[in-house]
Parts: sequence; C-alpha cells; structure tokens
Amino acid sequence: MSYPEIFILVFSFMILLGIGVPVAYSIGLSSMFTLLVSMPSLPAVTTLAQRMATALDSFTLLAIPFFILAGQFMNKGGIATRLIDLAKVLVGRLPGGLAFVNIISCMLFGAISGSAVAAASAIGGFMVDKMEKSGYSKPFSAAVNITSSTTGLIIPPSNILIIYSLASGGVSIAALFLAGYVPGILLGMALMSVAGVWAYLKKYPTDEGAALSEIIKKVLDAIPSLMLLVIVMGGIVGGIFTATEASAIAVVYTAVLSMLVYKEVKFEDIPSIFLETSKTTSIVMLLIGASMGMSWVMSFENIPQQVSAVLLQISDNKYVILLIINLILLFVGVFMDMTPAVLIFTPIFLPIVTDLGMDPIHFGIVMVLNLCIGLCTPPVGSVLFVGVGVAKISIQQVIKPMLPLFIAMLVTLLLITYVPQITLWWPRLFGF
Amino acid sequence: MSKVIRLLEYVLVVLITIMTIDVIWQVASRYLFQSPSSFTDELAGFLLVWVGLLGAAYALGKRAHLAIDILPKKLEGRSRVALLMIIECCITLFSIGVMVIGGTNLVYLTFTLEQKSASLQIPLGYVYIILPISGLLMAYFSLNHMLESRKDIVK
Repeated sequence: MSYPEIFILVFSFMILLGIGVPVAYSIGLSSMFTLLVSMPSLPAVTTLAQRMATALDSFTLLAIPFFILAGQFMNKGGIATRLIDLAKVLVGRLPGGLAFVNIISCMLFGAISGSAVAAASAIGGFMVDKMEKSGYSKPFSAAVNITSSTTGLIIPPSNILIIYSLASGGVSIAALFLAGYVPGILLGMALMSVAGVWAYLKKYPTDEGAALSEIIKKVLDAIPSLMLLVIVMGGIVGGIFTATEASAIAVVYTAVLSMLVYKEVKFEDIPSIFLETSKTTSIVMLLIGASMGMSWVMSFENIPQQVSAVLLQISDNKYVILLIINLILLFVGVFMDMTPAVLIFTPIFLPIVTDLGMDPIHFGIVMVLNLCIGLCTPPVGSVLFVGVGVAKISIQQVIKPMLPLFIAMLVTLLLITYVPQITLWWPRLFGF
Repeated sequence: MSKVIRLLEYVLVVLITIMTIDVIWQVASRYLFQSPSSFTDELAGFLLVWVGLLGAAYALGKRAHLAIDILPKKLEGRSRVALLMIIECCITLFSIGVMVIGGTNLVYLTFTLEQKSASLQIPLGYVYIILPISGLLMAYFSLNHMLESRKDIVK
C-alpha cells in the first residue's frame, strides 16, 4: 500500500507549481519528497541524480537540440516569409483567405521547425498585423494563429513525438511521424473550416487572385524550404538515417539555405543562434531529466498499477476508459507543459490502453493532440503567451474568438481517438 | 553574477558547437566515408548531459524556466518578496539536495566502482561531475535572486 506516497507526490507537486516554483523544479522536488519517505536519504537523492543524468545521455534525445537549432536558422533565415507567400498565392482568394494563409503557414512552418512556439512567433508576428490591416479583428487573428501553431507538433518531424517514443519504451519514431500527417492535416482543416465560417459571417475581405507567373515564382521560392521536409522525412521513413542523424542533416541544410542561398543569416549571428539553442534545449532537458526521475519514482511506488486498478474499477469499456484518459490529459495539459506530461503520463496510461487493444502509435498521436489544446489555455499555455505577445493583446481578449476554435480541436480529438484508422492507415501502408 | 553568466555563455557555445560538429561528423563518416566512427555517438550523449545541465543553470540565471507566475504577479510588497524567497528556497533545496549531494555521491560511487564508458573508456564520474557543478551554480544564482528581491523591498 503506498497511498501516502501518491498523496505526497501529487499534493507537494500541486502546491509547488501553484506558488510559482518553475515546473522542472516542482517535478524534481516532489519526487525527492516522495522518495525520502520510502528510502534512506542518501540513496534517495543519489538515485534521482542518477536518473536525471542517465535520462539525458541518449542518442535519440540529441535530435531535439538539432531540430531546435534548425528551427533557429529558419526563424532568422527568411524561411517563414517564403512559406507565407506560398500559402498566400494558394489560398488567399478564398473567403477568410488570410486566416487560411495563417493556418497553412503555421502548419508548414510548424512541421519544418517542429516547434509550436516558433511557429506562433514567426508566423504570428507577421500575419496578425497583416490580417488586422485587411480588416480582420486582432483577437480573432491571434486566436487563429495560436491554435494553428500547434498543428506543427503533430505534423512531422516533431520533437514531442520523439519524446513520446522514448517514454513509451521505443515505439518507432518513423511510424509515429507517418501517423502524424493525417491527424495534423485534419486538425488544420478543422481550424480552417471554423475560421472560414467566421470570416464569411463577419464579411472579411478576400485577396484578389494572383497571376499565374506570380504563383509559379512563389512556389519556386518556397521549394528549397519545403525540400527539407522531403529530405528529413524521406530519410527517416526510408530507413536511410535515424531521427538524430536527420536532425543533424536539417541543421546543415537550414544553415546553408539561410546563410548562402537566402543570405539572411550572417556568420557573426552564429554564436547567438547557438546560445539561444542551448538555452531552449536545456529548459527542455531539465524538464526531461526531472520528469524521468518522477516517472521512476512513480513506478517504484507502483503508482501506474494503482491508477490502472482504479480506472478499470470505473469501467472496463474501452470507449469509456479512453474518454476518461482524454479528460484527465486535458486537465493535465492545462496545468503542465507538454514534455513532462508526455514523460510522466505515458508510462501510466500506455499499459492500460494497450491492454484494451489500442495501438501505441495511435495513443501517442491522441496524447499529443490532446496536450496541444492545453498549450493554448492559461495558466501554462506557452503558445498562448507567445501568441498574445506577438499580437500585443491580452489573454482575456483572445479567449472569446478562440472558443469556436477550441471546439474544432476537441471534435478533431474525439474523431482521432475513436476512429483509429485515421491515424493508422498511413503508417500501415509503410508496413508498421 | 553577470561575469559567471558570461563565462557560462562561452562554455555553452563551445560545447554545443563541438556537439554539432561531432554528430555531423558521425553522419558524414557513416554515409560518405563508409567507416562509421565508434566514439562519436557516445561523446554526443555525454555532451548533451553537459549542455543540458549547465544550460539549465544558465537558464535559471536568466530566469527562463517555465513557471506558473499567477500568484507572484498578484501579490505586492512584502508578501510578494516573501513568496519569491520561498520559491528560490525551493530551487536551492532541489539543487543542493539532488544535484550537489546526490550528484557528488553518484560521482563518488562511479569512481570507486571504476565504471567506464563503453567505447571511449572515460570514467563515468567525469560525465556525472556536471551534476554537482551545475547544482552549485543553480544555488548561487538562486541566492543572488534572493538578494535582488530583498533589495527591491528596501527601495
């Protein structure tokens, strides 16, 4: 019986988080308190220290700093504007055209950079102003930008799916990446349909069509940026290289593209790009180290088995359990950042759902899509903060136009959860 | 404190540069020269531990870690400073407890057990030594933040 341990873990974590201790330290300290109850002190802290260090010593995790670095080169290298131009000639004419441009640019940029925050700032910084100038309301534009930035986390390559692969004990990264395409694009389309209706009702203006020569020029301009997706994904899916090797190739590719082809990054900029990368990386790494520690503490205290017993007591119906897990994750996502949520809750929920016959690939996508919603909600929605920051509006203003978009996200989540074929047919096609 | 941050910046840029070159070299040696090098992936893993933990201390110095700051923002004056002190104490407690004490013991254990890495044959203690180092840096930054908040209240 270790109910007191669960109690200490959950409550000390909530209190620490609530008073404003950084998330990684809250995770680490609550794990430390819990372990101190059940072990002598020196072995307890030594074990945690060892878990932190060994968690980071992983060749798979190396993909994360490199995808972040590639994202930095893209951010500063003029890749965002080229993707926006491409989306504009493609969909600018439709009703709600600029909202579509925003969403598609976020999907492309988010996919290439693998970061929702980078997409929200790079695309939002440009598009929100542009939409406002054409007559769109600013809160609506920001809401569209914030919600659509999360699509890039599901559309590959995606760092969070790499983290899920690690937490799940080795679900194939290539399979997860393949599985992300359809749900990610579906989410983008759901957001587009809401934005389209909204723009139609508000009679927002549309762009006049571009000439064919203009379209061809913009497509050609964007091709070198889009080629990155082809190289990285082709290599990983074709089994030519691992995700980590692909990330290193992405660094070389984006560096060459932004410095030699687009010529927007200079050699002097490199130290600051590297420093920014190491800062962003370490924030994630400390979260990973602390979360792996907490995850170990949980399995040491048999917490996954107890949660599983409680859940199966409520119901043994697959659909009910999935609904409960989704509700728990939505709640968790509101208070917790995505990385620790995936690392801590995968070991708890994955055994339950695989027992019920769910494919681990499918569960990974459901979990990430679910937690994407939390990224857009206060109090810890990192994408929300960046999105309102670049739009220079307050969180209160953005919430109302975001509600219909939230509903679109929730409907997509239910669809993805209960129709596994949407997620799985594409990886199945490649034999996973 | 600003000098320590400056120094950390140099070290981090050097480490992450080596890490990048190391992995690019690994890919190149595997595909271009057909002779995969055996130590690069091990070295890269160790460098990631170093960059991750040293960078975490740097990020703390820059107050860049994610936190829910609703409560600290709502409070004012003395109670705000008191809360900020409690937060910094929690950070110090973890840094000293797990990273410095736990980390030092871990380094001690791996040295006495003579654990070495598989291909480079480096004693693993040299890799783990970054735990107490960055724990100490974290505690140092945290104490500095406490002093800064105290100055605010004097004003």
